Amino acid sequence: MSYLEYNVKSTPSGLSKVLYLNWGLTLLIVSVAGVGFLQLYSVAGGSLQPWAEPQMKRFALGLAAMLFVAMVPIWFWRNVSALGYAGSVVLLIAVELIGVEGKGAQRWIDIGFMRLQPSELMKITLVMVLAAYYDWLAPNKVSRPFWVLVPVLIILVPTALVLKQPDLGTAILVLAAGGGIMFLAGVHWAYFAVVIASGVGLVAAVFESRGTSWQLIKDYQFRRIDTFLDPASDPLGAGYHITQSKIALGSGGWAGRGFMQGTQSRLNFLPEKHTDFIFTTLAEEFGFVGGVSLLTLYALIILFCIATALATRDRYSSLVTLGIAINFFLFFAVNMSMVMGLAPVVGVPLPMVSYGGSAMLVLMAAFGIVQSAHVHRPRGRTR
Amino acid sequence: MIRTPLRPLARILPARERGENTEEIERENLRRRHAEMQDRARSRAEGRLLVLGAFFTVAFAVVGVRMGMLATTVPVEPMASAGGSVIAAQRADITDRDGRILATNFETNSLYAQPPMLVDPVESAKSLVKIFPDLNEERLIRDFTGKRKFVWIKKRISPEQKQAVHDIGDPGLLFGGREMRLYPNGKLAAHVLGGARFGEEDVNAAQLIGVAGVEKQFDGYLADPANAGKPLTLALDLSVQAAAERVLYGGMRLMNAKGATSILMDVHTGEIISMVSLPDFDPNDRPAPPTSGFDPSVSPLFNRAVQGVYELGSTFKIFAVAQAMDLGLVSPETVIDIRGPLRWGKFRISDFHYYGKEMTVTRIIEKSSNIGTARIAQMIGAERQRDFLGALGFLEPTPVEVGEANSGKPLMPKNWSELSAMTISYGHGLSASPLHLAAAYAAIANGGHYVSPTLLKQSGPQYGPRVMSAKAAANSQMMLRGVVTDGSASMGEVPGYQVAGKTGTADKPKPQGGYYEDKVIATFASMFPASDPKYVLVVTLDEPVETSGTEARRTAGWTAVPVAAEMIGRIAPLLGLRPVIEPARLAEVRLTSN
Repeated sequence: MSYLEYNVKSTPSGLSKVLYLNWGLTLLIVSVAGVGFLQLYSVAGGSLQPWAEPQMKRFALGLAAMLFVAMVPIWFWRNVSALGYAGSVVLLIAVELIGVEGKGAQRWIDIGFMRLQPSELMKITLVMVLAAYYDWLAPNKVSRPFWVLVPVLIILVPTALVLKQPDLGTAILVLAAGGGIMFLAGVHWAYFAVVIASGVGLVAAVFESRGTSWQLIKDYQFRRIDTFLDPASDPLGAGYHITQSKIALGSGGWAGRGFMQGTQSRLNFLPEKHTDFIFTTLAEEFGFVGGVSLLTLYALIILFCIATALATRDRYSSLVTLGIAINFFLFFAVNMSMVMGLAPVVGVPLPMVSYGGSAMLVLMAAFGIVQSAHVHRPRGRTR
Repeated sequence: MIRTPLRPLARILPARERGENTEEIERENLRRRHAEMQDRARSRAEGRLLVLGAFFTVAFAVVGVRMGMLATTVPVEPMASAGGSVIAAQRADITDRDGRILATNFETNSLYAQPPMLVDPVESAKSLVKIFPDLNEERLIRDFTGKRKFVWIKKRISPEQKQAVHDIGDPGLLFGGREMRLYPNGKLAAHVLGGARFGEEDVNAAQLIGVAGVEKQFDGYLADPANAGKPLTLALDLSVQAAAERVLYGGMRLMNAKGATSILMDVHTGEIISMVSLPDFDPNDRPAPPTSGFDPSVSPLFNRAVQGVYELGSTFKIFAVAQAMDLGLVSPETVIDIRGPLRWGKFRISDFHYYGKEMTVTRIIEKSSNIGTARIAQMIGAERQRDFLGALGFLEPTPVEVGEANSGKPLMPKNWSELSAMTISYGHGLSASPLHLAAAYAAIANGGHYVSPTLLKQSGPQYGPRVMSAKAAANSQMMLRGVVTDGSASMGEVPGYQVAGKTGTADKPKPQGGYYEDKVIATFASMFPASDPKYVLVVTLDEPVETSGTEARRTAGWTAVPVAAEMIGRIAPLLGLRPVIEPARLAEVRLTSN
C-alpha cells in the first residue's frame, strides 16, 4: 500500500490546484515555444503562415492539455499506466497495418483532425508503465533476474515495433529512455555493464567485419556510416544536410546575423529548415549566444523536473518525472548533436520548437503529468 | 544504521504487560519500516540520479562546446568537385584566335521520375504537360502509373522549368545535375564547331561527345580532363566570322541562291580566319541528319566549304597559266590562238563571248577564254597537269580539322586524258571543294608555297613544299589583279584594298548526266591586297540568279563577285588592313573599257 492514498486529504483540490502548479516550469515551456514561434516566423520569410500560426494554435491546445492532465491526480495516471502502454502497443501494431507512409516509413495514423505518431505516444507511456512497475515492485526485488526480465520485455516489445517501421532513431530513443528508468530505479550496475559492453563489442565486430567474408551489414550501410564520420566526402549527397547546417552555424558566429537575416536557411539551402533543422536557423540568426540561451532554457526545464522529482516522496511521481526529463533531454540532445554533426541524421525534432503537432502535444501532456506529480505531491507527512 | 525490527518486541512486550493495545505500536512500527525502506531506495535513487545528472552535464557541455567551435569556424562552401563522378569532368572550352568563347559548358538539370515515389502520378503528369507542352500526357500517365521504377522526362531543362517542376512538389519528380555544351554565339561558325550530344548518361552526370566539326575532330583532346583548363584555340576570328556571315547571308538572299559558302584564309599560315556555309543551323539545337534517299547537301548540316565538291569553273584557269609560266612555256605576253570552236573528237570547246582570233595570256585570264586555256593545257600535257594539281592538294580531301573533311573527296576522271586536261584547265571534269580552291589560291598569293588549311591558330608562316616559282606566282597575281581591274570581275574592286581574283561560273551537272542550262555554281576566288597578298577569300553561290536587269544573270561576275567585294569591304578593316590610296591610272594604259 502506497502512502499516496493517506495523503489525499492534504493535497489541494478543485480549482485551487491551479495555484499549486509549477509555474516556473510552465514559464520555461512557454519561453521555449516562443522561441519556436519566432523561428517559424523567420523561416517563412517573416510570415505567420504557413508555420508559425498553426504552431501557436497547436501550442495553445497543448497548454490546455497540460493543464487538464495536471488537474487529474497523479495516482489516476499511475493506475492507467499499464492501460496506456497496452494502448500504445496496439497503436504501434495498427500503424503497421493501416498507417500512412511518410518519407518512406510507416509511422502515422490518420485520426481525422491530426496525424498521430504512436511512437511518440509510446515514449511517454513506456516511462509511465515502468515507473508504475517499480512503484509496485518491492525495492529489494529490483535486481532479481526475473524482475529485471519483465521490464526488459516491456521495453523491447515497442522498440522492435518501432524498428520495423523502420525508424532506427526513435527505436534507440525508446530503448535509452527505458534503460534510463531502470537505471534510476536502482537495477544493479552489472546488468548495465554487460549490456553496454556487448553493445560496444557488437559495433566493434561490425566494423571489424568490413570487407571480410562475414560482413555483418550491407555496403550501403557502411557508406552511410562513412558519410556520418566524414560528411565532406559527399557534400552534395548524403552529407548535404550536415555540411549546410554547419555552414549556417559558422556564418552565425558569436552573436548571429540578426533576426530574419539568416541566409543559409532563408535561401533554401537547408532542407527541413522548419522541422528537424530549425536549430540551424536559430544559430545562424542569433549565433552562439542564441544557441546557448536555448540550451540553457532546456537545461532549466530538466533541472525543474529533477527538482520536482526530488521534492516528492512518491516513487511513481519521481520516476515518471525523471523519465519524462530523460525523454525531453534525449530529444534536444540528439537533435542538436545531429545538426552539429555529432550524431547521424536520424530525424528527431527539436522539442517545442520544431514545427509539428503530434510530438508537441504528447510532450505537453507529459509535462502535464510532471505538473500533476507536483500538484499532488504528498504533504504534511505523518510519521 | 539501526534497522527497525520486524516486530518491535522490545516495546510490545512491556506494553502488553501493561495491558495496552499493542496494535498501535505495531502499526507505527510498520510505518517506520516502510519509511526506512523508502529512504533506502531513495538514497540509492539519488545516487543514480547523480550519475544521470553528471551524464546530462557532460552532454550539455559537449553540445555547448561544439556550438562554440562551429560558431568560430569560417563558413566554407563545399566544392562539388570533391565528390563528383568521373563523367562530370568538364569538357574544354573552344575559343577563337583572341580567346573569345565559341563553345563552353553550362550546368543544367535533367528531369526524371521514380514512379513508386510519386504521390499523385496523374496530377503530376498533367502539371508536367503544362510546363512541357511537347510531352504526351497519356503516355506519361501510363509510365507513371505502370510498373516502371524510372522514367526519363527531359534530358535538359532550364532553371525556370526546374523551378516550375519543383513547385509541383511531387517527391517522385527528381533532378539530376549535368553539363551541357553551350555555344553562346548561336549559329555563328556552326559548321566549324559542329556540335555535341550526350553520350553515356546517368542520373547525375552525362558524357558529352562531339558529333561534328572540331568538336568531333578534337573529341579526345576536349574530353580529356587534363585539358579542362586549357581551351582549344581556333584560327577563327569571331568578328570576321560574324561579318562574313552577315554579308554572305545577305548576298545569298539578294542573288536568290539556295546556298552559299565563303572561306577566308591567311595565305602564309593556312589559318582559316572565317568559314561560312549557308544555310546553317544552331549547334545548341542540332537538327536531325536527313534520312536516306534524300540529297544530304540540302541539309543545313552540310558544310559546303569542306564537303561540297563542285566543278569550280574558270577559277581553275589560273592554275594552267601559272604552271605554264612556271615551266617556261608561256609568258604573260605570249599570244595564243583562240579561234574556236576548238574541236577534239566529238567534243567542242567554245567561249562565252567571241574575243577575236588571238589573245595574250594575260587577256585570256582577264577575259576568261576557255579555248585559250585549253590550248595552254595542251602545251602542259595531262600528266604534268595532274602532278601540279596534286601538289596544290586537289587530288585528296583537304586536311582541315573538321570531322567532315574526309567526305569532301575530289571527283576526277579515272583516265586523265588530254581532253580531260583541256576541260580541267577551265574547271570542268574535276570537282573539288571551295576549301581546296582557297588553299591553291593561297599558294599563288604567298609566292608559290603550298599551305595546308588549318582551323587551329598558328604562330607563324607554315609553308609547305614550293609548287611554283616566285616569278610565276607574282605574274599570276598580276593577271588576277587584271581580272578585277579590266576583266570579268570588275565589280570586285574595293577601293583601297587592291582585290585580285578570278571568277568561275560552272553549270551544275544533272544527277542523270549532262548539265542544267539554268543552274550554276558561281565562284569568285580572290586575294587581297594584290601588292602583297595576305588573305585569300573564296565565295561560292549555289544556283544564284541576279534579276535586277532585263534578263536573269547568273555568271559569277554578276553574283559572287559583288558579294565578295562587299565582304572584303567589311572584313578588311577588321583584319587590320589599311586602305591604300592608288594613283589614278593613265587613260592610255587601259586597253579596253569594261
